[in-house]
Amino acid sequence: MPGSPLQRYLHSFIPAAPLATFRLAFGLLVLASVVRFWAKGWIAELYLQPKFFFSYYGFEWVRPLGGYTYGLFVVCVLCALLVAVGYWYRTAAVGLFLSFTYIELMDKSTYLNHYYFVSLVALLLMVLPAGRYFSLDAYRHPARWRNQVPRWTVDALRLLMGIVYVYAGLAKLNSDWLVHAMPLRIWLPAKNDLPLLGPLLSQVWVAYAFSWFGAFYDLTVPFFLLNRRTRPMAYATVVVFHVLTAVLFPIGMFPYVMMVAALIFFPAAWHERVLGHLRRLLRRPAPVALLAAAPLVYRPAVRHALLLGLGVFFLVQLLLPFRYLLYPRELFWTEEGYRFSWRVMLMEKMGQVQFKVVDGRTGRARLVNNYEHLSLLQEKMMSTQPDMLVQFAHYLRDYYARRGVHAPQVYADAYVSLNGRLGKSLIDPTVDLARVRDDLRPKPWILPFDDEITGL
Amino acid sequence: MKKPVLLVVALLLAALGILSCGKDPSGGTPAPDTAVDRKALLTYWADSLVKPGYQRLNDKLVVLKTKTTAFTAAPTTATLLETRQAWQAAYVEWQKVELFEFGPAEAVSLRNHFNIYPADAAGINRNISSGTYDFELSTAIPQQGFPALDYLLNGVATGDAAIAQQYATSASHRRYLTDVVAKMEQTFGTVYGQWNGGYRDTFINSTGTDASSSLSRVINAYSLYFERYLRAGKVGIPAGTMTGTPLPAKMEAYYLRGALPLQLATTAHTAVQQFFNGRPGRPSLKSYLDALGAKDSRSGQPLSSLISTQLGASYQQLSSLGPDLHTTFTARNADAVASYNEMQKAVRMIKVDMTSALSVTVTYVDNDGD
Repeated sequence: MPGSPLQRYLHSFIPAAPLATFRLAFGLLVLASVVRFWAKGWIAELYLQPKFFFSYYGFEWVRPLGGYTYGLFVVCVLCALLVAVGYWYRTAAVGLFLSFTYIELMDKSTYLNHYYFVSLVALLLMVLPAGRYFSLDAYRHPARWRNQVPRWTVDALRLLMGIVYVYAGLAKLNSDWLVHAMPLRIWLPAKNDLPLLGPLLSQVWVAYAFSWFGAFYDLTVPFFLLNRRTRPMAYATVVVFHVLTAVLFPIGMFPYVMMVAALIFFPAAWHERVLGHLRRLLRRPAPVALLAAAPLVYRPAVRHALLLGLGVFFLVQLLLPFRYLLYPRELFWTEEGYRFSWRVMLMEKMGQVQFKVVDGRTGRARLVNNYEHLSLLQEKMMSTQPDMLVQFAHYLRDYYARRGVHAPQVYADAYVSLNGRLGKSLIDPTVDLARVRDDLRPKPWILPFDDEITGL
Repeated sequence: MKKPVLLVVALLLAALGILSCGKDPSGGTPAPDTAVDRKALLTYWADSLVKPGYQRLNDKLVVLKTKTTAFTAAPTTATLLETRQAWQAAYVEWQKVELFEFGPAEAVSLRNHFNIYPADAAGINRNISSGTYDFELSTAIPQQGFPALDYLLNGVATGDAAIAQQYATSASHRRYLTDVVAKMEQTFGTVYGQWNGGYRDTFINSTGTDASSSLSRVINAYSLYFERYLRAGKVGIPAGTMTGTPLPAKMEAYYLRGALPLQLATTAHTAVQQFFNGRPGRPSLKSYLDALGAKDSRSGQPLSSLISTQLGASYQQLSSLGPDLHTTFTARNADAVASYNEMQKAVRMIKVDMTSALSVTVTYVDNDGD
């Protein structure tokens, strides 16, 4: 046995049950989430009806597939189901990651942090040995069955959860959230017609209490979940917290995803009990070899590759949210480096933008009706995000060029309010966006914020 | 297991402490008589604005119908003038309620049946000569309502005597005029009946702020009206702000012109302003924003007074476009453009700052706080 604590840790094993229950619950949750998305008619509304889609930098080739987009969702649903039951597990996990991520990359305006989280978990599940236990694969091929897995395979999921929570907490350590209770101060009174809780929500102190508790909760809950003594209480808080957010805010499946994913912190014995209940429910006998340890031992090369891959993955996860430091100005205003950083519920940002297209030869100007080109959601998202304003400007440039406007110049007059500040111009209305490059460099044509938000 | 509980309690106490320190110097605490009470606001809107407004319009439409009947029975210059007067009075009254395009009005597309201009004169003439038309078709939208009446009472011929003569000699003209008024009466009757029936209770009991709530529907209708039908329709489009060239033929009440177009525009603007400001001591958007404590956190000024001031400035600019709006579009269009720009400032405050402060949602799609 190698000597250093790290080596000992990397060679230790735990029962495979946590990975199995996580796989099952996660698969079913994604399944429900995608079916819900479909049932609400959002596939047509968000991916078929709009004439233009906001792609991600470097992923311009990812586009909705017209009528075949439904097929993409079918693949995603099918893969989620297969992952849940552990049938053709590895292939299904790859399929789930690819289909779900493709869907998310089709249009920026549907970006949600929890979709990003689902993509990341699906990526991890591609390499983690979650299909070796309590799965159809193991049932059909008993030789593949393993009841013990390296400890780090389970801890990888815990670490990802921990990063999500702690980074969401760090993002709350700013003056708007802590000193001004923004944006909860705006959002909570809007819910004051709820039974019981309602009347409290009009009180300013409640917004402060929610803000401070929210920051404290995010920063600490992974640690309380890790500790055996605090775990039950911490999990109760997880449930209360997320149920509350589900009641108060239109955030869809996110609370349920987090409530279920946090179960990964429970000890193996607990997961084994859950699986025991399920076995009885399905009238399946416990595996004969239950008592004999059958650990999954990777070949050294595979093991090294996996550990290296996970190391790179988590390094990226730890650094990516801080990329905003590479941009000189206020993050909430410019949103340069805002996505993929677990910044959740931090801004009440609203805007209105008027595009003007000028004929480069005749100087004739015309104003654009955004709603003729974009869905309600796209217009709402675009009006506050500079990178999307450029993308739409380029679309307008090409659209009007096709309709006979010579060398179209595109100008945007965007008026944006942020966390209760009176609206002001977001970008320079005299800059021709048709000639601005759409890339990741700082955008000098974003106008100053004229205020300061201190903190992370 | 006790540790997190203690920490939570400690943190809540800390938050309370900070709050009690932070509250004193702010001075922005809401006045005691205002409350963040959406039901009271919705009730006031229903009982004191929408229903009485519709009742007054209904009265004017009854007169319009009577006068039209008298005119078609005996088309003379005198009966024409009386009909025109009734049309003007109803048109002005309409401006005070056009912004209520939610609930029953939205369901029947009341505005489409009442006030989409410019009127399609060629289509109207085709309808008159063919004698067959369906006012529910989308092509028929600009062939009915007040703009069609504008053409029928002021534009079918030159001079009042000639117009009256047109109706005296043409049964199909008389029939079309009668049908336009009857369609307006019928469409409005549905809306009016629903407000006096069960819809009023449905409206005041939908107290949420989600996309289907009454507040969200009212705010969307209100800002859409201000932006598209007042700012753009009455001033922007005829002034050519969208296209670069003035298009006075697209103005409201184009065939009558004179003082009426500006009167319609200022009446509409006053309705928008009054809907925001309300009356002292009564619930309004202004008092609701005050109760929320909404203020520009850069300057500390209450949002309600910033909006109110801008609405006032916008009204000033608009009312300076008289006496004849058509002349303004043709002779000094820059003033009309300036009025459009001043309205645009107010539109933005309504659409962005107010909507944000009210926290009403515009789509049903999930979001995690932008």
